[in-house]
Amino acid sequence: MGMEQVVLLPAIPAAIFVVLALFSPLLPRRGDWLAVVGMAVVVVLALAVAFHFQDFFGHGEFDPSGENARAFEWLNLSNGLFQIDLSTYVDAITVVMLLVVSIVALMVMIYSVGYMRGEARYGWYFGALSFFTASMLLLVTAGNLMVLYFAWEAVGLASFLLIGFYWERRSAAEAAKKAFITTRIGDVGLLIGIILLWREAGTFDIQQIIEFAEGGGFDQRYLTVAMLFLFMGAVGKSAQFPLHVWLPDAMEGPTPVSALIHAATMVVAGVYLVARMLPVFDVVLVARDVVLYTGLITAFMAATMGLVASDIKRVLAYSTVSQLGFMFVALGLGSPTAAMFHLFTHAFFKALLFLGSGSVIHATHQQEIEQLGGLWRKQPLTTWTFVIGSLALAGVIPLAGFWSKDEILHAANHNLPVFVTLAVTAGLTAIYTTRLVLLTFFGEPRNHHAYEHAHESPPIMTLPLLVLAALAAVAGFVIYEGVGQALGFAGGIGQLIFAHEPEVFHFDRDLATFALAVSLGGIGIGLVYWWGTAERATRARGWAPELHALLVNRYYFDDLYQSLINYVVLGAGSVIAVFDKRVVNETGVDGGAQTVGWFGLRLKFLQTGRIPNYALAMAGGIVTLSLVAFYTS
Amino acid sequence: MSDLNFDYTLLIPELILAVAAGIVLLADAFHTELRLNRTLLPGFTVLAALAAGLTSLAWLDTSDDFATLLAVDNFTAFFRVLFAFTLATVVIGSYEFVAREIRHQGEFYAMFLLATLGASVMAASQELLTAYIGLELLSFSLYVAVSLAKRDPRSGEAGLKYVLLGGVASATLLYGLSLIYGSAGSTSYAAISETFAAGTANVELPLLLGLVLVIAGLGFKISAVPFHMWTPDAYEGAPLPVTAILSATSKAGAIALLLRLFSGPLLPVKDDWQWMLAVISLTTMVAGNLIALQQTNIKRLLAYSSIGQVGYMLLAVATISDASASALLLHLGGYTVTNLAVFMAVIAFYNRQRSERIADFRGLAETNPYLALVITAALFSLSGMPLLAGFTTKFILFQAAAQDGYLWLVAIAVVMSTISLYYYLLVIRLMYVQEPDGAPAPDPQTGRLDRPNLRWRTSPASYAVTAVLLLGTIAIGLYATPLLEAADDAAAVLFPA
Amino acid sequence: MIPLENFLVLSAILFALGFYGVLARRSAILILIAVELMLAAVSINMVAFAAYLDPTRFTGIIFAIFVITVAAAEVGLALGIVLRLFRERASANVDEANSLKW
Repeated sequence: MGMEQVVLLPAIPAAIFVVLALFSPLLPRRGDWLAVVGMAVVVVLALAVAFHFQDFFGHGEFDPSGENARAFEWLNLSNGLFQIDLSTYVDAITVVMLLVVSIVALMVMIYSVGYMRGEARYGWYFGALSFFTASMLLLVTAGNLMVLYFAWEAVGLASFLLIGFYWERRSAAEAAKKAFITTRIGDVGLLIGIILLWREAGTFDIQQIIEFAEGGGFDQRYLTVAMLFLFMGAVGKSAQFPLHVWLPDAMEGPTPVSALIHAATMVVAGVYLVARMLPVFDVVLVARDVVLYTGLITAFMAATMGLVASDIKRVLAYSTVSQLGFMFVALGLGSPTAAMFHLFTHAFFKALLFLGSGSVIHATHQQEIEQLGGLWRKQPLTTWTFVIGSLALAGVIPLAGFWSKDEILHAANHNLPVFVTLAVTAGLTAIYTTRLVLLTFFGEPRNHHAYEHAHESPPIMTLPLLVLAALAAVAGFVIYEGVGQALGFAGGIGQLIFAHEPEVFHFDRDLATFALAVSLGGIGIGLVYWWGTAERATRARGWAPELHALLVNRYYFDDLYQSLINYVVLGAGSVIAVFDKRVVNETGVDGGAQTVGWFGLRLKFLQTGRIPNYALAMAGGIVTLSLVAFYTS
Repeated sequence: MSDLNFDYTLLIPELILAVAAGIVLLADAFHTELRLNRTLLPGFTVLAALAAGLTSLAWLDTSDDFATLLAVDNFTAFFRVLFAFTLATVVIGSYEFVAREIRHQGEFYAMFLLATLGASVMAASQELLTAYIGLELLSFSLYVAVSLAKRDPRSGEAGLKYVLLGGVASATLLYGLSLIYGSAGSTSYAAISETFAAGTANVELPLLLGLVLVIAGLGFKISAVPFHMWTPDAYEGAPLPVTAILSATSKAGAIALLLRLFSGPLLPVKDDWQWMLAVISLTTMVAGNLIALQQTNIKRLLAYSSIGQVGYMLLAVATISDASASALLLHLGGYTVTNLAVFMAVIAFYNRQRSERIADFRGLAETNPYLALVITAALFSLSGMPLLAGFTTKFILFQAAAQDGYLWLVAIAVVMSTISLYYYLLVIRLMYVQEPDGAPAPDPQTGRLDRPNLRWRTSPASYAVTAVLLLGTIAIGLYATPLLEAADDAAAVLFPA
Repeated sequence: MIPLENFLVLSAILFALGFYGVLARRSAILILIAVELMLAAVSINMVAFAAYLDPTRFTGIIFAIFVITVAAAEVGLALGIVLRLFRERASANVDEANSLKW
């Protein structure tokens, strides 16, 4: 398949969504097979695009206006002054995203067939998943910021629908609303950023904007502001500080949804956006530094929160936020290679971890890790795939996470404070991962009821676990040229991913040894601390209660935002409503009397009713406008 | 004066409406003798609306005028079709409501027909007196329609407020028009425009006062803050279909007149009025959206939300140019479709539940998922959600306004439309999250329950109308180009190249 | 000849008085009469402008005639609504018509 037809990729799941939304009750098995088969086709097509892309651009320079770009005019105002095309654009970043999205989506859909069996709205669930996948594929193939924005909002809507899938549960509905509104704050920024870019560049086409920026077409300060607004969108979508609060709550959705949307794909849209626009960020280094430090703060903060969370999915959510922070750090350091590589490996092992946790929840109906334990006897497959995912996350050689985290550390090599923070965070990552694995799968069972009823999940659920575990184990090897050539890629898969940068691989023995030592050290600390009896599970609480409370309460950000909404937004609304009620309607009695008071009939009008008050408001408007008009003219 | 064009065929759409109104009134007067079927009058009204809408297409891409009083051009055609569409939609969607709730049905439909006629005249006007007559025809019909509810005592009260304050507003507008007439020496748009452009206007002071008063008078019609005070009360007290007409036809008619006035005769004195409209746009969008947060009645919520929307539209009038006029027309079209979708769904809801309280919408997703979907999509569209009409049209509107330099106002508008999402989501949450009345409490362990079947069906007429409007909302959101081209053609009349 | 300004000042006073009446009166009937005063001010303006600025045509005068006609229609219509309210509440006091608020 050529790159001109890449629009087929989002079109297939979109069509399936329409069919499922309309006819799912009429189809055998509510149409789940349709979604799965459709997604398998998309995976094949995505691989075809990757091979084709490799043949075409594998060697030598990359022509952005070539075969990989295509456009259809969608809206044209004032004869091209304001034109939006439905355009697609494929480059290395797109190919990586296509592979990640389609493969993880396929795995999640297969897994969901087992996990969601017997749920009400089963057909709607697959419809919504297809809708999400379609929007996500559109997002990563968009060649135009407006199309990207459309897809951006559409994935947000899909996320809203799927987080709130169990809308009978109040917490799920609240979480859906919170996620929606929080990310929407970022979206407003994104839209403003897009408009600002368009105002100067006169186009929404991403490649043209990049050329315009590199040609020095923007004023520096103006561009900084525009890019910061743009970055706001990424912050919201990728749950970065200070808009990170929605992602842990989003775990109210079904677990496969968390794996797909809130670990592997939608939340990395922010990373994708910044990577896509990185040439523009390179023009204004202030904006790039903001990306760097936002990522750094988030990575560290989220890792500390992950240390104390007691819900298996929330630990993974904090871990996701933290790893996304790593990717932004890489972008902020100017290395899209490292960021995209980490995105690629992270998608597989984090999806694996989420699906594994889903398997645990499916078996025990229990999410609190302090209530679990000893499951390795009951769920061997789940346990060992989960361990592989965890080691990959912790960064143990030779699993995928090791290679990609190493790339990021390498990029930070010349910036000591950043490097130290990253190293500490990597250590924390290893610690909380160890804690998660130990408390869930090893030690003594702490809740015997849950333990007795536990059982291994059906094959339809363990198969995706195995596939993803394999990918989590080997995905890091793509950086070796030989591996890619063995698979049929001329320049190795590494070059496919890093087509922008011929010099791919920064393996540095000393650095790698250091990173590995940090990981193993973290794992060791975790083992010493949590290995053993049931009481150990909760002993962190007594160690430093204040610190523990701070972390458990997530640095009190949620409370801060809630009071902001309560006092500021609703407050302003009620102040104006009260103004309308009291001042205009009741006190307006007095005000009206004073305004017309010089007629000397004040007392009589104290009882003025409502219609006169309304007329008074009109009179007030007229008098104010007139006075201003006369004094300014 | 023999060179005036008295070609009455130009007015066929208006004549159809007028004659239909007369027939409906007469038929109603003799309804006992004629033994009218209850669908006959609404059916006839819809036919008249469709006839008026279709015949007005005959003058597409022509530019003609009737005795220099009424222009028949693309701008007029745009609004004729818009008003006819609104009328047909509202009548189909509400005939069941009208049959039960309205005192004199024939009168009621006749008032709708006359209101539509008045609005068309406003949109076509080329002269101040004609515009004024159209405005009063629209207003008078609605004064009557607002107070025609059979049992609801709020209806009479709303009518009283509307008619008294409306009288004040039209007197204000007239005084303003008289001052403009005095400044320019003519009531014809073309002549006024020439005088002002030549800078030979008599005095500055009366002109300024005249502008203030005209803006206040028309501000009343479109519910601009602080001339909006009647709006929530009239919306709440009026029968639902009238509320729909108030928020669609009445508002669009006034916007059409604003466009005719401020892009034509008053354009040369833009510096004098631009800031006034910008200020009013600001107060309107801020007050409307913030007060909406506190409402408990769906009609009042929609009233304040529509006030907020007017703020956005005024933004485009303040920054008037061919781009922003065309964007405004596009937005008006999209807004009309979306807004009618909400109203028709609320009417269908009212037909069944007899309630306008927002709280009573809880669990609607359970009892009538289709209606809940329509309301959700329409409210999302009003808040400016992509893939729906509201986003596309609002985006183009803001973009056009931003080009003219009112960037700070556009920024506030964007913030306000984000705030609006909050109160729309409150309604959506009620529908999807809360249990319907009469449902037993769910099992606290599993969250599931055996609930009695609370489902109910939407009537076929409501279903058809809401389906068309829903599809329209989505279609405009996905591919706005056809409507945009129509809006471009209409706006080109105001700003000939 | 009386200067134009005199007419304008007269009409402005009349208009202001009318608006004041709307603000001050509580009987719906009296408010209507106040609105009539405002419309009378408009008519004076129109006729005065027509006579002084535009003596060859009658635009302003025709406008005034229309204003008078429309004003009559408006009073008739408003009285009908007031009557309906009066039947329901036995009062034409606008203060008591305040069940719709907030």
